[in-house]
Amino acid sequence: MRNSASAEWASNQRIADFVRRVGAVWIAVIALYALSAIISPAMFQGSQVLNILQVAAFVGVIACGQTLVLLIGGIDLSQAGVVTLVNIVCTSAMDGQNANIAGAIALCLVLALVIGLCNAALIVVFRVTPLIATLSTNSILFGAALVYTGGAPHGSAAPAFNWIGQGSVVGFPASALTWIIIAAALAWLTRSTVYGRWLYATGANPVAARMMGVPVRRMQVSAYVVSALTATLGSLLLTAYVGTPSLGIGNQFLFSSVAAVVVGGTALTGGIGSVVATVGGAIFITELESFTNIIRINTGTQMVLQGAIIAASVLFYRTIAQSRR
Amino acid sequence: MKIIDMNLTRRQIMKYGAAGIGLAAVSGALPAWADTIDDATKTFSGPSISGKKKDGPYRIGFANGFSGNSWRAMAIRALQIEAAAHKDIAELLIVDGQNDITKQVNDIESLVSQDVDAILVIANSGSAVVPALNSARQDGVLVAPFNLPIDGDGYDVYVGTNPNIKGSASGKWLHDALGGKGKIVALGGIAGNSYTAAGWAGAQKAFEGSGIEVLAYRDTDWSEDKAKVIMADLIAAYPEIDGIWSDGGQVAAGASNALLAAGRPLVPVTGDDYNGLLKLYDAKKDSQPKFDIGLISEPTWEGVVALRNVVNLLHGQEQQRDLIITPKLITKDNYKTYMRPELPDPVFVDTNLSADELKKIFS
Repeated sequence: MRNSASAEWASNQRIADFVRRVGAVWIAVIALYALSAIISPAMFQGSQVLNILQVAAFVGVIACGQTLVLLIGGIDLSQAGVVTLVNIVCTSAMDGQNANIAGAIALCLVLALVIGLCNAALIVVFRVTPLIATLSTNSILFGAALVYTGGAPHGSAAPAFNWIGQGSVVGFPASALTWIIIAAALAWLTRSTVYGRWLYATGANPVAARMMGVPVRRMQVSAYVVSALTATLGSLLLTAYVGTPSLGIGNQFLFSSVAAVVVGGTALTGGIGSVVATVGGAIFITELESFTNIIRINTGTQMVLQGAIIAASVLFYRTIAQSRR
Repeated sequence: MKIIDMNLTRRQIMKYGAAGIGLAAVSGALPAWADTIDDATKTFSGPSISGKKKDGPYRIGFANGFSGNSWRAMAIRALQIEAAAHKDIAELLIVDGQNDITKQVNDIESLVSQDVDAILVIANSGSAVVPALNSARQDGVLVAPFNLPIDGDGYDVYVGTNPNIKGSASGKWLHDALGGKGKIVALGGIAGNSYTAAGWAGAQKAFEGSGIEVLAYRDTDWSEDKAKVIMADLIAAYPEIDGIWSDGGQVAAGASNALLAAGRPLVPVTGDDYNGLLKLYDAKKDSQPKFDIGLISEPTWEGVVALRNVVNLLHGQEQQRDLIITPKLITKDNYKTYMRPELPDPVFVDTNLSADELKKIFS
């Protein structure tokens, strides 16, 4: 009895170890893919895989920065507002002319820097709870987009710029390629540099980190700035994908940018998680959306399913984390 | 004449625009702009409302549900210009419900307390505004919902389209464009909205008993980017898509762009008078022989007509309560009289606004 129980325990432990090593989210990505391909053969086509990667790049890039914020124990709900405002400003500044591309991108990056610093100031200097601070910023950004356009957005993305959202490099979507580069850079930054170690230390225990000499407040500022920057880059990719301004374009990311990070396994409590896992999270939620678009279920069921999976993954990661102790 | 625009803020969700101009463009000449208001069919119905003769100058309130898209921006501007043109209107007070059902109820109450003679309203909820509007009527205020209906009979003027009739007209057009046979996908607005539901019901009726097969129905939030993403998934799922039914031009444009991205031929689409779709049609019609458009607008000048009918009542005229607008169908034969190549995609082209006004709004 005892032997079989301990053997079972050992095998459970082996499974848990395996899941941790590979990353649970990647197993989920593959399992969902296999399941959806069985139910709908359309999901099995190479072109559909590329299609999913192309679309996942938008939320994927945005969620990369969100990962850093969650790692330090914060949250950034202003990314949705950044996406909308950048879409509006970028199309307005480009006005369909290739000559304006550089200027428009520069303008958007400056905007990102300002927004990131504002968030950081509210949270780090004025000690407003991140949830409230960034939700307020989000509202301000949506309002700013509305005031700037008066409800009537104008301009359009330049033809040459659209390549980054619609084009491909030897068949591989340019947007996905951009995403891989950004994610790789941030993965390296968080995994292989002192900055990265400080980031994890700040999230795990800010008091202990401060005593060890980690510049905790500067780490927090940097995370919010990076988050605003990746939201901007994601918005630029999405703008290049559609080519037109829209005041509603950012809405979906209020939920999905956090969802991708959480499904990837990054803890909302800080200190645990990784950018690479977030890449998996972004692929997973896009895959799920694509799958639910293809099979015949209504929008309500789709939303219930997505919400349930986010909640389930949080429970799952907590269980895994506890089994490690 | 003073126009007060109280809090212009937040929020989106696309909604339609406009109806019909009928004059064909003479080749080589600029398109001729007709009076779009006169070109649409307008049918009075409902009970007769006797005039409530009052001496001017009048104060008119407009409780807008929200202002976050180009349709609303154009509708507000059209209303402001119309109000300014009436010598006996002293003031047009505009309040913005910010897409919030309870805020709009407060807005209506605040307009009543400012002694307005009439309230125009685009309701965020057709039921929630009813008590506030009823008490406004008891205070002698005329109540005029437009664009979206309100529940019950507690109003004096209504101006709007009938989405069910529009849906069956666009469904019939798509049926005919496909020769009564083919596979289509349907793309709606926000999940559960009554406007798309009525339109889609009308379209399905038009397909009944024909060879039209509906492969899928999906909600797109009336957003071009979402429509493009969803359509890319549907393209993967269905090797043959012969037509697209939608009730938004930006949806049809996003879906068509997804077909282009996948290297598939463009197909007949329905939608509304979104400038971007007309521009896309104009650019692709020669290289895409199957591409075709059957579009019905939601006129941005509905509020203008509602205001005129309110003023009629204030002048003591009797008129029927409900005015249903049936905009002219925009097709390949007349689209050039609507298209505005010099203006951005989000313009709704069935408009009574001048070219100069449109430039001012969209810049």
